[in-house]
Order: sequence, then structure tokens, then C-alpha cells
Amino acid sequence: MKRNVAIIGCGQTKHSSRRRDVNVAELVSEAVYNALEDAKVSLREVDGFVVGNMPGFEGIAQPEQWLGEWVGTAGKPVLRIATGGTTGGSVGQGGYYTVASGLHDVVVAVAWEKHSDSREAGATTGLTHVALGNIFHASAYGLNLKNLVATSVVGAAAGVAVYQATFYMHRSGCGIKHFDMVAAKAKRNAARNKYAHLQWPGCTPEDIAKTEIITYPFRYGHVCPASDGASAIVVAEENIARKKARQPAWFKGLASYSDEENQLQSENMGGVGVTDPSEQRGAWLSAVKAYKMAGIRNPQKEIDMAEIYQPFPSQELIFAERLGLFDENTAWIALEKGETDINGRMPLDPSGGVNATNAIGSSALQRILECALQIMGKAEEHQVPKKVHNAIAHGWGGVTNYTTVTVLGDSPGR
Amino acid sequence: MRRKVAIVGYAQSHHQHNMQKTREDMVFEVCKEALRNAGILREDLDTVITASTDFLDGRTISSVFLSMAVGAFMKDESKVEEDGTFALYYALMRVLAGSHDVALVEAHTQGSTMNPHQVTCFTLDPLFDRPIGVLNDIAAAALQARMYMNRHNVSEKHLAMVAVKNITNAAKNPYAHRKMPDLSVKEVMGSKVLYNPIRELTMSPISDGACAVILASEEKAKKFTDRPVWIEGVGTCQGSYLRDRDIDKLDSLEMAARTAYKMAGIKDPLSELDVAEVSEKFAHEELMIYEALGLCKDGQGKKLIEKGITRRDGDMPVNPSGGALGADPTCATGLIRVIEAAKQIRGEANGYQVPGVRKALAHGQFGICAQKNTVWILGGKNS
Repeated sequence: MKRNVAIIGCGQTKHSSRRRDVNVAELVSEAVYNALEDAKVSLREVDGFVVGNMPGFEGIAQPEQWLGEWVGTAGKPVLRIATGGTTGGSVGQGGYYTVASGLHDVVVAVAWEKHSDSREAGATTGLTHVALGNIFHASAYGLNLKNLVATSVVGAAAGVAVYQATFYMHRSGCGIKHFDMVAAKAKRNAARNKYAHLQWPGCTPEDIAKTEIITYPFRYGHVCPASDGASAIVVAEENIARKKARQPAWFKGLASYSDEENQLQSENMGGVGVTDPSEQRGAWLSAVKAYKMAGIRNPQKEIDMAEIYQPFPSQELIFAERLGLFDENTAWIALEKGETDINGRMPLDPSGGVNATNAIGSSALQRILECALQIMGKAEEHQVPKKVHNAIAHGWGGVTNYTTVTVLGDSPGR
Repeated sequence: MRRKVAIVGYAQSHHQHNMQKTREDMVFEVCKEALRNAGILREDLDTVITASTDFLDGRTISSVFLSMAVGAFMKDESKVEEDGTFALYYALMRVLAGSHDVALVEAHTQGSTMNPHQVTCFTLDPLFDRPIGVLNDIAAAALQARMYMNRHNVSEKHLAMVAVKNITNAAKNPYAHRKMPDLSVKEVMGSKVLYNPIRELTMSPISDGACAVILASEEKAKKFTDRPVWIEGVGTCQGSYLRDRDIDKLDSLEMAARTAYKMAGIKDPLSELDVAEVSEKFAHEELMIYEALGLCKDGQGKKLIEKGITRRDGDMPVNPSGGALGADPTCATGLIRVIEAAKQIRGEANGYQVPGVRKALAHGQFGICAQKNTVWILGGKNS
């Protein structure tokens, strides 16, 4: 009785630090019209939109109310989803549910970020905003001292990620040099992806190792950029999908389980107390559910490639294990063997991933989009050299407590 | 609809200006109460959808520290922005898709944290309208009110009559914020002018508040309760941006209503609906809403209020709970309307019950001059 739903078109923009040639609305339109063109769908055929970004970065509240006109939202349902780092993943999943519900047949899901519009684009990822924003609000609107300290101590995404990385290093035995390898791979892969931001053909782990440690265990070369960019997918029900696309990318399974926020054992100290931010039970539960929906029993064999949300290289390893693609504590060994390379047994982030391109609101949707491209055979230069039957797209956000996991396939499965 | 889906439980806070509770406490209490109201446990939930916005909550990723409070810990969850009825829409879609059976929907805003009217300035076109600095939601509503009043010969007294109806209704609603049982038209017309003709008493108050609704698929709903409130129709629509539309009409509401009526098989809303709960952020909007919902012809909204048709004891009661003029915790307001409509169907609106309600309409809106709208048709056992 489930309705089969597929991605029939993908569109994204060129990413860079500053897209001064466009404003936010034009950036979003670029992605949407590229997706519509790819799907061979006209705006008239679209009967709904799912949109999202992180409103704080551009300083526009509910931006779709203003920029909707650029992409033809007038007179149509528009659902706005925003969940921090997972925004794009949540938007993509929103696109699925919108069509799977039977209320709509063809939907555009679009997510974006234009960091350069922000007055205080952070030195590394723009993520210092998240912490600073909270501090400013805290002092202006009277958050109590405990929460204020909790927020400032944690140091936003990089702050959480360093704890997470050291926990992982400790339990798995991997070292900083493995992070160098992941970061170098991301930049090399990005050089094959014409939309990516940090492109560095032939980048080696030694190149990355030359950069300074900015917060242990991360070097400058480990950290993702802050990008301007947007991505969009066209989602359609089965009949339309089969008519419009030679090879649609079918949604087979999806989930987004929330964990407890990993911030000083939860902000109010009242939770169960996650002490190890690399534990990621939410990601594990999401993967279990998504695989169950997709009818996948052995992800190590049945998944052909993965797009993992890895603004920090440690996360590619941690989450690859949580998604069941490698045994516990072994992802870095597979990395050493070259299994995660673009031509390896289990390619991870052949697009370069978030480590090379991070337009935050859009990043998790890009993971879904890149998996779809691989299944549709449209990834051009960074197409993995094997037939992709099943792919998994991941996103994380919040204080590492949000996860989105989406399994796509070349057939609807059931 | 692919499955029958029902509302099986709900709860709301006592809306007030400065609640003296943390956001987390406020949200936890309504979610806990909604579960209790439905007679289920957190373990019964398959998915949780919340509604809030970063700007209104005054922090980045507004939902990030709420997972525990709303009971989303280790649940398949997400957050939509804007009105709670959009969260309800997403939750409904998740249930319709067949992958979830029971959903909790939560929406909240503490207006005392960030002035919601100030926040509307940040929704304006950042390249032109915002730098000019003359517009906000109240100023735009004043323009809208004047255009509408001029076109249809509506007087300030009509607006005052709407305010009196809703604010006196709110006096009987234990959850409402603004309660003035003896309010008169004269008093409304003497209240402070913010932007002519918008007065303090013809616009909604700034409230702190939260609410939660539990949705369930047919099989589960029948297990949980013998009084499910069925969702019979739903429609949502976003209109054009402020500068690109005729603001003296609510086109997107009209389209949303058309979709919802079609789904629910409603041909003549005035005779088929027993009660409506609408989100009128300003008194004049209620008249425009009557017209957009097809309760009367274009420009005839004033007749309904003149004749008392939309009073609680009238033929087509609108906002017996007091509506948004009674309490307006921005993101929760529309979802509260859904709860109030469900209460009318269940006969639980103690003190402001409309007799014999079988079919009810609820409306939620968001954006300057009601740019985005959702319309819900709810039905009881015998509808």
C-alpha cells in the first residue's frame, strides 16, 4: 500500500566562498531551475514545495515568503523545514513524505545557504555563529548562567566535533594521519565535481599535514569551508517518475531519529547523559529503520556507495560505522586500504562531501542529491566506476543529536 | 486521503504574556498533558513534529534543546517552521505515507522573549523593503485594513464588533490570554491606535504559549479512544509576496479552503459547517477570512458580524474560543484553533460550547498579511 516515490531531477549551483553574482533568491532559483530542467518538468506540473535553510546565517526570517516568487511558489503549498545541520536531509525527506502521502504528485525540495551574506561569517565554517548567537541571545534575553556557560564552553560544531573525534580515536585506534587522509580524499574527489567548492586535484595527506592544528585533533586543512550554494531535487510519484526519467532514484528507506544533545551531558543535566558524542545511537537507529524499510539485510554487501555528512574528517569514519558500512572501529583500516576511494569497494563521498563544500542548509540535501546522481548515472567526472544499485545518504546536525538517513535505490524495492 | 487519520488527544498551556516558565518546561508540560489526554505513553509515538522559528525563539536551531522536552528522544522526528498547522500537515503526511501510525505535533512561541512584530521586519525583502524601514506586520495590516475597508465600505465600528465578539468569547476560555467579559465597541474604538486603523484591541496580544496534538491512524485511533476527531479535509497554500499581491484579498486562503472543501466533500460551507476557529491576527482579517472561506460573498463579511451570525449563539459561530484576538503565541496559534475545533466536536468546550457540532473548520496562517494559510475540516463520529 506504500506509494513508490522517486527523485527524477537534480539541480545544484556552483559553490564558492562568495557568490557575489547572485542574491539569495537568484541562488535558490539557479538550483531549482537546474533541477526542473534535469527532470524535464515544467513549473506548472509542480504541485508543492518543501524548502529550508538556517535562517540565522543570512538574517532573513522565513525567506521563502519573499523569494518564493522567483521559483513560482505563488498559489502552491510550501512547507518550510529547518533543523540545523540536517536541514537539507529533513527537506529531502519532507519531499518524500509529501508525495508518499498521496496529497501531492510532483514536489520540488530545495535547500540553500549563502554564508557570505552574513556579517560575521565564521573563520572556519561559519558555525561560530551558532554559539555566539546563543550567547548574545542568552545575555540579551536572560538565559541563566548555567546554560550560558554550557553554550559557550561547548564551542559550537567544531567544539562538539573535537570531543567526538578524540573519543573515536581513543576507542578505535585511529590517528590524526587518518583524518589527513580523509580530508585529502575529499579535496581530490571535489576536484572531479564541477559544483564543489574546495577543489584540489592530487591533494595528498602530506599536503593536509602541513596545515596547523587549530583545535586538537583538527588541523586547518581538516575543517570544511563555508560555502554559498543551493541544491534542489524533483520528487515524483511512480507513474510520473517512470515517464519522465530513464533511471529514477527511488526512495527505499528513510528515518531521522533524535538523540540527546551532547552538550555537557545535556543542557539541563536532566537527561540520560550522553558522555561519548561518537556513540551516535540516533544515527544507528535511523540506519536500522531505513534499511528495514529498504529491505536491506547486509549493508556492507548491498550498499554500493555512501554520501556521509563529514564537515570534519573524523565524522566520515564514525558515521560510516554507524550506518553499518564497516565493522565497529574498522573504518580507518578500510580507509588505509583505499576501500573508501572513489574506485574502492565502498566509495565514501565521491563528490568530495561536506568537507569540500558546506552550504549548511543545503549540505544534507546534497548528500541525497549526490546519491541520486550516482544511481541515475549522472555524476559525470565523479561517477563511481561500478553500477550503483543502493546508496545511502546521511546528515547530522544540532549538537550532534540530529540525524537523517536516506536509502536510495535503482528500483523501488517492493 | 489514503488513510483515515484522527486527532486523539491535545493540550494547551494557559497563554499569558510573561509565563515565568522556561521554554523547555512550558513545552514539556503540554506534551505530557497531550499524551495523558490521549491516554497513551511516549512509547506509543512513532514520530514527533514540532513548529517554531529561530527568530521567534531567539536562538539558532530553535528545536535543538527541545528533543527531550517534546518526547522526541530516540524518535523519528523533524521540525517545521512557522505555524503549528504546518507541523500538523507534515505529521499527517507522515501518517498517510504509511510509515508511521501515531504522531505528536507541538508548537510554541514565547512572545515575551522576542517581540514577534519586530521579527516580522526580518521576513521582508532584505534588498528593498527592509532597508527602507517603514514596514512591519502591523503597518502592512493597517494598509490592508484601509484598502479592504475602502473597497467594501467597512467602518471601524465593524472591526470593533469583531474584537468585542472574540475578546468577550475569550473571557469564557480558561486558556485564553486576553479576557475582557464586559468589553464594549466604544472601549475598543477608544483603545490606543498603533497604525491607523489598527488599535490595541483590534490586534492580537503578544502571548507566551504552547500546544500539542496527537494524531493517529484509523486502527490506532479506534484502539485509543471512542471519540476520535477525524481529519476530513486539509488544504495549504502560499500566496505572493506582500508587494506582488492584492493585499485586500486573501487569495491563498481561498485556494487552501477550496482544496480542503474538495477533499471533505463540502459544497456549501455556510450550511455544512457547524463552527469555525480562525487565526485572525487583526480584527479586519476575520471579515476577510469569512469571505475567503466562502461563508459569504466578496465584501459581505461585515453583514455576518452586523447580523450576529458569527456570534457564539449565531448560525455560524466563528471563534467561540476567542480566536487569535484572545491569545496569540505566534507559532502555536493555528494549532490551538485545531484543538478548539476538536473540542467543539467532542463537546469539551466547557463554558463556550456550541451545541451539536459535527463538522468544524480550523484555520492557521503565517506571514505578513496572512501570506500562508492552512485550512482543516474536522468531523466527529456522525459527520
